[in-house]
Amino acid sequence: MKHSHVLGGLLLVGLSGLYGCAGQRSEVALEQAGASFQKVKEDANVLRAAPKDVIRAGESLARADRLSTYWGSGEDVQHYAYLSQRYSEIAREHSNQVLNEERAAKLELERQRLQLALRESKLLSVQQQGKWLEEQIMAMATTQTDRGLVMTLGDVLFDTGEAELKNSANRVVLKIVQFLQLNPKRVVRIEGYTDSTGGKQENLKLSRDRAQAVADVLVDLGIDEKRIQVEGYGDEYPVDVNATERGRAQNRRVEIVFSDEKGQLGAAR
Amino acid sequence: MTIRPLFAALAVLALAGCAADPAPNEQIRLTEQALEQARAVGANADEVPELKLAEEKFARAKSNMADESYKKARMRAEQAELDARLAEAKVLTLKSQEQLNVLDTRIKRLHKQLREDAQ
Repeated sequence: MKHSHVLGGLLLVGLSGLYGCAGQRSEVALEQAGASFQKVKEDANVLRAAPKDVIRAGESLARADRLSTYWGSGEDVQHYAYLSQRYSEIAREHSNQVLNEERAAKLELERQRLQLALRESKLLSVQQQGKWLEEQIMAMATTQTDRGLVMTLGDVLFDTGEAELKNSANRVVLKIVQFLQLNPKRVVRIEGYTDSTGGKQENLKLSRDRAQAVADVLVDLGIDEKRIQVEGYGDEYPVDVNATERGRAQNRRVEIVFSDEKGQLGAAR
Repeated sequence: MTIRPLFAALAVLALAGCAADPAPNEQIRLTEQALEQARAVGANADEVPELKLAEEKFARAKSNMADESYKKARMRAEQAELDARLAEAKVLTLKSQEQLNVLDTRIKRLHKQLREDAQ
């Protein structure tokens, strides 16, 4: 009898000790869940984007709160506080997503407006540049090669050492856009090349940047970027000698390789 | 005399065990679905800690099912479901953010082009 009393007493102390710990932990969890719920409840955007999750966060919290008045329910309180916390977090994420999407829809309209404006401005500048440009275009050969239809954009369309396209490229760029819009299945590979002056790495980078600049303008004018591949080959595959100024100018170029009507593009070099 | 209360206590415990907790089959199914959905939008456990958490809890819930510890199984499965749903929501938010960044870049580029063309 004496033994069992002592044992029972110890057991009781042990149990209440355990409960004390669990109780404290569940109280903290309950407080945190309450704070999270309060924040989402007061946020009009969250309420609008994820009303159901906010309601569930509230229900779980109420359940945790109710359970916390029962002795020995620490584990359950923690559980429902956890669920409530999660519902609040999910509601917050949904709200962020909806806000992002709404902003994206606005930006998309803005992008389309700018795209149109850019197209108009390029058309205008083409009309102004008139005759002089006509000759430039004629100089830019479009040739049928074993790689497919290739259009060469000459060095004159870029400033020396720079990747940005000059305004004088507007006409040819518009032509390419028009061509791609009339041939929606065709895709292109834009390949940049340099002469052999300068280091390998710089040439590779410059050739790729120039090709990318052409790709960017096409995308800006409404061509889907999925239709465009970009490659930089540096000083490889020269079309002329690098010993003369004229030859080097020929080698500095961007080539646009067009696929066939079905979208089949020859393999990259 | 000392034994009777013990029996009573045991009986109460046993009853509590039986009455409160049937096998949470429906919850297991829901959790499985939430995990699938999170993976379907591209979440993976290496990048999204909430999904890793969900997978671990779900694995434990299933072993609780096998041991017929149904209460534990239900709790873990419930938590895993919400962990997975949070993982899914985070991935979707990230994607919408990336979409915004792409649009921002494009619009900046268009503004720049327009400025250059005006010169």
